[in-house]
Amino acid sequence: MQIASVEEKWAGVVKEVTIGATKEEGGTREKVVTIGGAKCIPFMDFDGNQGNRPVIAMDVYDVPPEDWSEPLLKNYRDVVNDAAGWAKKCVEEYGADLICLKLDGTHPDKGNKSSDDAVKTVKSVLEAVKVPLIIWGCENDEKDNEVLPKVSEAAAGERCLLGGATQENYKTITAVCLADGHNLITQAPVDINIGKQVNILVTDLGFPLDRIVMFQTTGALGYGIEYCYSIHERGRIAALSGDGQMATPVICDVGHEAWRAKEAKATDEEAPQWGSFAERGIMWETITATTLLQSGVDIIRMYHPQAVSIVKDHIDQLSGKGS
Amino acid sequence: MSENRTYKIHFLPNDTFVEIEEGNTVLDAAHKASIYVNSICGGDGVCGKCKVILSKGTADAPPTSLISGEEAEKDYVLACEAKIVEDLQILIPQETRLEGKKILYDQNEQHSLTWAAAVNKAEFKHNPLVKKIFLTMEAPTMDDTVADHDRLCQAIMMDQGVELNTIQTSITIVKKLPEILRQGNWSVTATLARRGPVLEVVEVQAGDTSKSNFGIAIDIGTTTVVTCLMDLGSSKVVDSEAIYNSQMKFGEDYIQRIIYAIQNSALDEMQRSIVSDINKSVLALVERQGVELKNITSVVCAGNTAMIHFLLCLDPENIRKEPYLPTANVISPFRASQIGIEINPRGILYALPSVGAYVGADLTSGAAAIRLDKEEFPCLFIDIGTNGEIVLGNRDWMVCCSASAGPAFEGSGVLHGMRASEGAVEIIHITKDYEVSYTTIGNVKPKGVCGSGLLDCIAELLRRGIIDRSGKFQKDIKSGRLRKKEDEYEFVLIEKSETGIDSDIVITQADIANLVRSKGAIYAAISILIESMGLSVDDLHCIYLAGGFGNYLNVRNAITIGMLPDLPTSRIQFVGNTSLVGAKMASISEEAFETVHKIASQMTYFDLMGNPKYMEGFMSANFLPHTNLNEFPSVAEELSN
Repeated sequence: MQIASVEEKWAGVVKEVTIGATKEEGGTREKVVTIGGAKCIPFMDFDGNQGNRPVIAMDVYDVPPEDWSEPLLKNYRDVVNDAAGWAKKCVEEYGADLICLKLDGTHPDKGNKSSDDAVKTVKSVLEAVKVPLIIWGCENDEKDNEVLPKVSEAAAGERCLLGGATQENYKTITAVCLADGHNLITQAPVDINIGKQVNILVTDLGFPLDRIVMFQTTGALGYGIEYCYSIHERGRIAALSGDGQMATPVICDVGHEAWRAKEAKATDEEAPQWGSFAERGIMWETITATTLLQSGVDIIRMYHPQAVSIVKDHIDQLSGKGS
Repeated sequence: MSENRTYKIHFLPNDTFVEIEEGNTVLDAAHKASIYVNSICGGDGVCGKCKVILSKGTADAPPTSLISGEEAEKDYVLACEAKIVEDLQILIPQETRLEGKKILYDQNEQHSLTWAAAVNKAEFKHNPLVKKIFLTMEAPTMDDTVADHDRLCQAIMMDQGVELNTIQTSITIVKKLPEILRQGNWSVTATLARRGPVLEVVEVQAGDTSKSNFGIAIDIGTTTVVTCLMDLGSSKVVDSEAIYNSQMKFGEDYIQRIIYAIQNSALDEMQRSIVSDINKSVLALVERQGVELKNITSVVCAGNTAMIHFLLCLDPENIRKEPYLPTANVISPFRASQIGIEINPRGILYALPSVGAYVGADLTSGAAAIRLDKEEFPCLFIDIGTNGEIVLGNRDWMVCCSASAGPAFEGSGVLHGMRASEGAVEIIHITKDYEVSYTTIGNVKPKGVCGSGLLDCIAELLRRGIIDRSGKFQKDIKSGRLRKKEDEYEFVLIEKSETGIDSDIVITQADIANLVRSKGAIYAAISILIESMGLSVDDLHCIYLAGGFGNYLNVRNAITIGMLPDLPTSRIQFVGNTSLVGAKMASISEEAFETVHKIASQMTYFDLMGNPKYMEGFMSANFLPHTNLNEFPSVAEELSN
């Protein structure tokens, strides 16, 4: 008996975005990362080309993290004061595809580091690792508008991914990304319309759509993941259905969101019934990541090396490349 | 569709073209082109304010003493009299453009669609709800011994062509009949009121008083109460009066007022408040026009459902509670004096019917006024008051909804917003160098900005790049007009030295957000209504836009900001306060009154709040003009230039 084909053909395709530039391309990266390109919903390879494989960016901070729980912190205790060393460890030991440098230390309430400090940090990380770099501001509009132009200039030619442009504050960062040849993160508060609107606002300024990566604020397992999932999924379906303004790759922030859940933080004494403290956070991060993978994301920001390793393996298996 | 020839009219100095059918007047063409032409009499050819110059072509204009010989030599004509028989170029002189000194209480009288034109278009038979007829009867003799009352009824029957058993007379009138009939020597004037199938003999007077029969038509708005004095004999509008609804003190919007009425057991008080507003307005009208109160025989009221409930002292509580039910949609006529309205003590009050809690008599009245019930193809009728009520339909079907748009385009919730009255800025232009030019109602120093001006303002700010498509000010523009005040950005439209108030007139970031939300709610509701009927925007034959925006509304700007779907502007018509027009028509025509009822019973209410797509549609419409720019191809093109 012949079984009817259930293949789905989509009209649209997610644009490809390349992060990082080699020497030939005017940068200093030894490896570049291309994301996007999907012509079907995630991991449905019988439907068509799934595009580039999702990648993992590991987060590095310019200040030592506060209230990280022990199972997480123990992996980084030696490098928390040294962003360059931290990044190097993530790439060389933990297998990060990219580094996401969060400039939290520039926030007025978190140390208020100067833009010169931020530039120094960025340069040191660029020197320490040869993978592409995501640079994320401190999410204080005024300070970001002061720091990000300097940072962008310092990294000119490296084709970084800079973020994030919001509906309230997008002009400065869009202008500097355009000028310095970087890619841009457009950010929305888990709202498909605002997501699209920010894309429209930055493209209205002349920013090319194929250099944009969308970020819908992430919700971790137990903390709004369903909502986040459905927004990602709707966004991806809109993109595949031909909505050009939604046809950009997507980044999500799993590490930070998963590790601030109380389930990742409560010790064995505090929550003996919840299972091993040493593994709980890792699983929380892993499940959040693997769930969102199904919704259609292209870059996952992560924290814990073990979670990274499990998720990478998971991606391999889903892509038919696993062991 | 009519086979009449159409001609092209070119208006100067506006440099606007409009196509119009043969036989329309130049004033009709100006209205169609949304060009301001002074006209106090509303197109009756008596005020002489609408003088224009025929700079090319000739029109069919009767001679008039209102044009001097010298003016005639310069090709002056009255716009309202000059019938179009060929392509024309019309120059509108300065005095005709901006001379309106009178406060424009009743926009329809002046601009969007004149009363005369509206009545003409509606084609309702003149036959007032309450009429006075002069009857001459044979005096009784020994051979003709019909009783007094029977004699009167027979005379009415013959005159009106009605069945005898539909005529009713109260005992109070019957008691006085012998004296009155003989006093008038068998010639009397009977006042007859239509009450459903019954024709009531309201009053009988000796002699012929049939020429003095007046009615009141009222639009009870949540913010403004507009009252018109109608000559029921001639169907003309004698005068009108607009005041703020003094129920404002009980709450800005009607939901607040319902809560107030319930919590404070204040329904009686609220009724007294609106009745007193009406009585004051009527008194002002009769004093100004020298009309006797006893000659006012009817009141016709339009208004949203809550306002009608307050007027009639009906329990409004269930309007705001699931499943949102009014106490009554259709009210039988009753004596106006029963609720304290001071006209002829036996005069009748007719409250026009509503459809439901959120679709009121303002909408049914308006739909009748524009004759939605005669349209062959689907048309959209939008009344932007406090709520934003929308009807889609034609002669066969109608669906309606309420958009909860809020009163921003009535000037409420906007720092320098105001309603369309003297001193309101109604037209705004902004140049590439961010200079602002404007036109003010009454040509006095500006006091604020009314709906049409606010709409222009958003469109112009967007065009000039002063705001982006999310409505946010672009802080890097080089203009001193954009400034930060107490943590909020604002754009100075008019400097203090030019205003009639003690400050600059500005538009703030919060104002823009409010207006964008309001237009977003309207557009989302329109989209859902169209979609739910399986239609697309292109299927719309025409859009009628009503509301208290001002005298003039730039339809193109309404599209640019994404309030209205992207249709050619020739298919969109601004029709002013149609709620009032419908009430006026009902007062002079039983047919109009019945049409309002027929429309009310025909309309299917569509609940948006229960529709999951509405919030989604609203969010994507909360952008300029819309998140999906492909719904606005002409705006996309305009903005890319």
